Amino acid sequence: MKRKGVRKSKWLVNTVLAIICVIWAVPTFGLLVSSFRPAADILSTGWWNIFPHKEWTTVAQIELPRDTDLRGPISVEGMTYSDVQLREGVERDGQLLVWENRRQRLINVQEKEWAWISSFTTQNYETVLGGKQYKITMPDGSVKTEQGSGMSQSFWNTIAVTIPATVIPIFIASFAAYAFAWLRFPGRRTLFVVIIALLVVPLQVALIPILRDYTSLGLNGTYFGIWLAHTAFGLPLITYFMYTSISQLPKDIFESAFMDGATNFTIFSRLILPLSVPALASISIFQFLWVWNDYLVSLIFLGSQPEVQVMSMKIANLVGSRGNDWQLLTAAAFVSMLMPLTVFFALQRYFVRGMLGGSVKG
Amino acid sequence: MNGDFKGKKVTMFGPFADADEVKFNESIKAFEEKTGIDIAYEGSKEFEATIAVRVNGGNAPDIADFPQPGLLKGFVKDGKVVDVKSFLSDEYLNKQYAQSWLDMGTMAGPNGDIMAGVWARSSVKSLVWYNKKAFEEAGYTIPKTWDELKKLSDQIAADGDPAWSIGIESGTATGWVATDWMEDIMLRTTTPENYDKWVNGELKFTDPIVKNAAEKMSEIWFNEDYVYGGRKSIATTSFGDAVKPVYENPPKAWLHRQAGFITSFFPEGLTPEDFDWFPLPAIDEQYGTPALISGDIYAMFNDRPEVRAVMEFFTTADSLKTWIQSGGVTAPMNGADPSWYANEAERKMADFLGTATTIRFDGSDLMPGSVGAGTFWKGMTDYVSGAADLDTALSEIQAGWK
Repeated sequence: MKRKGVRKSKWLVNTVLAIICVIWAVPTFGLLVSSFRPAADILSTGWWNIFPHKEWTTVAQIELPRDTDLRGPISVEGMTYSDVQLREGVERDGQLLVWENRRQRLINVQEKEWAWISSFTTQNYETVLGGKQYKITMPDGSVKTEQGSGMSQSFWNTIAVTIPATVIPIFIASFAAYAFAWLRFPGRRTLFVVIIALLVVPLQVALIPILRDYTSLGLNGTYFGIWLAHTAFGLPLITYFMYTSISQLPKDIFESAFMDGATNFTIFSRLILPLSVPALASISIFQFLWVWNDYLVSLIFLGSQPEVQVMSMKIANLVGSRGNDWQLLTAAAFVSMLMPLTVFFALQRYFVRGMLGGSVKG
Repeated sequence: MNGDFKGKKVTMFGPFADADEVKFNESIKAFEEKTGIDIAYEGSKEFEATIAVRVNGGNAPDIADFPQPGLLKGFVKDGKVVDVKSFLSDEYLNKQYAQSWLDMGTMAGPNGDIMAGVWARSSVKSLVWYNKKAFEEAGYTIPKTWDELKKLSDQIAADGDPAWSIGIESGTATGWVATDWMEDIMLRTTTPENYDKWVNGELKFTDPIVKNAAEKMSEIWFNEDYVYGGRKSIATTSFGDAVKPVYENPPKAWLHRQAGFITSFFPEGLTPEDFDWFPLPAIDEQYGTPALISGDIYAMFNDRPEVRAVMEFFTTADSLKTWIQSGGVTAPMNGADPSWYANEAERKMADFLGTATTIRFDGSDLMPGSVGAGTFWKGMTDYVSGAADLDTALSEIQAGWK
């Protein structure tokens, strides 16, 4: 009875997982296909046409007399149709009759044939990586082509923001978590509750006050400023996460280490850190992804000056003032995904362990 | 002022990104070299959302570029903006700008009216674009009145094509194209004074005057023979794609009403001989053919000598020269040479702007955000898609004024 229940729930979990996977994977795949298509094609046909399918294809054309009245019945090779029918297309012995050009009274005769998308381009990626070209007419009338900046500058900017903004909070939070878990000091519980409470404070409420402080300190638009901001916003969650992991470690090893004369710092660096590698790795992924994908915090504290602009802002600006270059977003999305994917796959074996970390008491 | 300001930096913040940013930077290069001022422009797609945070956070840029004067009004009221008249004389401003621009730049501050900024670029909106070659080949003539416009639409329909291509989809801003039409028709069916009252909220959306304008618009929009794809496609067609059928060969639609910027959405490979525009014709003779415009006003948040110098530079046509030559912008200030414009279509826009008897700014950009960028967009979309009838839609829009 119990076994059956387990099997049933496993089946249910797998189905739910499969559905979630499909919901995420299908649009992503569609985006990938679109990123390799010319913009005009994306507008006219859907990405799913990449799979072979039957499609109405024009095999012949019929030209009616120019003076045919479109408001009355229209006779086409012995049969009469109405204008509405010909707009929508009418079937006749497996063939479809549809207007090609009403003005020229031209009708397409179409048959179902196998078709699939075959025109691909890497233009979107070239533009995203290499930068756009702009034509500027100079005062003397000559035309100068200006090469816009590509992704590389903002890529390195993002690295410069993300790595410290991941390392610093995890470093601080690990110390804090050790203290909360294993040191006895007055106000420990109160402080810990305050940190937990900070988890629910939305960071948006802090934007203007912090911006004011940054203005008086001259930190706006600097890397140091945004490291601090990301550190502060990330600390509560990371501290809590590290606390759950570190507090689960067996007490005995600390006691014996302490007996042998180890200081708190030795215990932390020689015992805690090695034992918490899975937890450290998985929270690193979280924080890294959060900072990498962040738009709001960089928008407010870093701004979009080219020297400091991060990738998410660069990508948002790629579409142009009026959204005229929307097709570039498809390619840009995949370019910006590469780094997080690399980090994820490099650390994924820790990721699973970290998620399970602390769930089973041993 | 040669090299007087060597090493000084002026920060600017505004919404133009990408190609516009490159054109802007090119247009200020000569000035920077001459004076030694470094103008650091920062463009963000989130300008509207970010500027309030920056100003309230004490991190205001020296100069901000507002495409929506309605947004600037709030900052002026709070006393955050430096009065341009504190360093530029009336005489000078009158020389640089036509009176209607100066009127539009005057806003109420805490201690009375101030000149809130300088107009640095503009775009004409009342344009009906067409495919020049095909239009001439088909033997159509440019309509001078609303009736002629409808006759032309009928003629095109009889020839087998829909006359108009209309699309109002624009992501979260869906509906703004419809508000532009409404404003254009309002200017053509009522007095400029009523238009101003309407923009200020004194004339209600539920008023018969506004309703009449919406009905005029529906004469074209809801005629299934006139619109490419029919009424149902209007709300789902992106504004940028809507112009494309006009420039297909052969054209699938023949007319498209949109501001001058739409040239950046034209299919690649068009030459200036392929396209042209005519002003949206007069509906009632007594109101003529007014020009609906939009533009960018540069407002100053920090008063330093180098910022003053940059602001003064933006009042001169020279500050726009390379931009005008590269296309996509019309000069609001006097002194731009007609020969600068990249093609005939743009030269005509400047000409239209210079000769129009009535010039009014895009109303939805002047109304408070809750209406101009809120219920007005949404109400028009509901009306066009058929989700609401006209009376419901208009009272829905009016509700945004509270």
